[in-house]
Amino acid sequence: MHLPPILLSLSVAACATAVVLPPAVLTGFALARWRSRVKPLVATIVLLPLVLPPTAVGYLLLSLLGREGRLGPRTLGFDPDLLFTWKGACLAAAVMSFPVVAGTARAAFERVSTRLEAMGRTLGYSPYAVFLRITLPLARRGLAAAAVLGFGRALGEFGATVLVAGNIPGRTQTAAVAIFDAIQVGDDRGVALLLVSMAALALALVGGAELLLRPPQRPEPGPEAP
Amino acid sequence: MNSPTFRLHLRVPLPRLTAELDLETTERVLGLFGPSGAGKTSLLEALAGWRPNATGLIEVEGRVLLDSAAGLRLPPEQRRIGYVPQDTLLFPHWDVGKNVEAGTPRGPARRAPARIRSERVLEVLDLAGFERREVAGLSAGERQRVALARALVSDPALLLLDEPLANLDAPLRRRLLSYLLRVLDEFRIPTIFVSHDAAEVETLCTLVAVLERGRLLAAGPPAQVFLAPGIFPLAEAGGFENVLTGVVEAADGGAARVRLGAEGVRGAILHCPAAGLRPGVVAVLGLPAEEVLLASVPPVGLSARNILPGAVRRVSQVGQAVLVVVGLEHGGAEVVAKVSAEACSELGIREGRPVHLVIKSQSFRLLGTGGTAGPGR
Repeated sequence: MHLPPILLSLSVAACATAVVLPPAVLTGFALARWRSRVKPLVATIVLLPLVLPPTAVGYLLLSLLGREGRLGPRTLGFDPDLLFTWKGACLAAAVMSFPVVAGTARAAFERVSTRLEAMGRTLGYSPYAVFLRITLPLARRGLAAAAVLGFGRALGEFGATVLVAGNIPGRTQTAAVAIFDAIQVGDDRGVALLLVSMAALALALVGGAELLLRPPQRPEPGPEAP
Repeated sequence: MNSPTFRLHLRVPLPRLTAELDLETTERVLGLFGPSGAGKTSLLEALAGWRPNATGLIEVEGRVLLDSAAGLRLPPEQRRIGYVPQDTLLFPHWDVGKNVEAGTPRGPARRAPARIRSERVLEVLDLAGFERREVAGLSAGERQRVALARALVSDPALLLLDEPLANLDAPLRRRLLSYLLRVLDEFRIPTIFVSHDAAEVETLCTLVAVLERGRLLAAGPPAQVFLAPGIFPLAEAGGFENVLTGVVEAADGGAARVRLGAEGVRGAILHCPAAGLRPGVVAVLGLPAEEVLLASVPPVGLSARNILPGAVRRVSQVGQAVLVVVGLEHGGAEVVAKVSAEACSELGIREGRPVHLVIKSQSFRLLGTGGTAGPGR
């Protein structure tokens, strides 16, 4: 599989978003609903990758996934083949966008009234059914925003990606890495081309998200029918 | 038959006080009355299972919903409760039809044929044709009716109504009250009705518990409890009235004749405005206590249409005024007159004394129609 940087970036970001959404949304829900004294601690740990330099996160991943690492092939008993592959790039981008997605999802769930959820229970829904039929639909716009932000974060990921996945053209060289590469070798035309296409892509994404997340047009309540 | 409908021994810790309710009764429609801040809504939420820190015992018609001593706490979805909270809590992402059907009995655990069909409820609540409407576009009164419809359609074993008539205008309030009377009578659902409107409580409830700052002040039949010296100021602030129920015998022109008591009982005849009444229906009339005049001898030459003989049953002093409970000679219904202490002593009012009640027909207002006539309602 040989992909130009832009396409590779899109695939990696899409993969990272898909990987990160389920755990991040559940984490966001837990943070929004869970009451505990250790909650601030957990919330801080969740937000950590947002504050740490991406290269630090990349280094941590590298040492975890390396041959002798805690999650490396020797410990696991098989080789997940993550280092210096597109899967590794996807994992690095997912880890880096996790705090953004979980934080946005948490805010989305905090806006859903717990009284509405309680009413769902009273009307006979199990907690699980309440989550699927009431909480998720009511939080859907905030969750869509979380996905868009997570995708955007993954799309521009550089520091962690380059450490975990390297810089192999056509295999792990995403747009962000390719721009760095082109600057290093003084390929001004290559930089400009990548810059313009990334800008166009970002514009389309942000515009699309804006359209997608626009509040529904609701007609003003008119005079009541007789 | 004598097993209690409600066995309630509840403690609900709140930020500033603990709401408590200790009550066992065979009555089916219980009113919770009291000023705001009395803890009424918190008690309803505890009954619904929304307050995990509530302790005690909740038993409704033999079903135990909570018994903290035995470590039993049914989750809300197993309590079979129809709850109409004050803020209605309609689901904003569903239309009216889907909201009303939200609690439709599902699964084998629930009884097969719905006793209360959504089409019928929508029709009675004047919501027919609303099914596709968005919840966000509804008025306050419409939201209230949709919430009530949703609770009824869920086939509840216990109805919790938190000020269900608060946002409605007078005609709609009357219609909804009439409908509630009919529903509670027909389906015999145990109901707890929270209100700060004394007349509503008298109309709907056979038993009222008066709460203030989380404490139970008194419990008993509304007409008795509300007249107790410590309670009457609260009841009066909440719009206490005489509530009289009877069968309409005639309604023509502007006036109607209502015979108090159940059909066949030769109760006293009242003259009242005919608006909203047809012969044969059961009318629930409100009559403010201060609009009832007392006469020590049969009065003559008055414009008032109602002159009713009776005898004083109880007298109680409330502040500067005196409440005189008069039992009517025909049928025995009780009417409360609020008179000044001076007038009371001048007329020589005391227990057992025969008096005549003088009431203008315009003093009556129609609270609702339907339900069962006669005492016990």
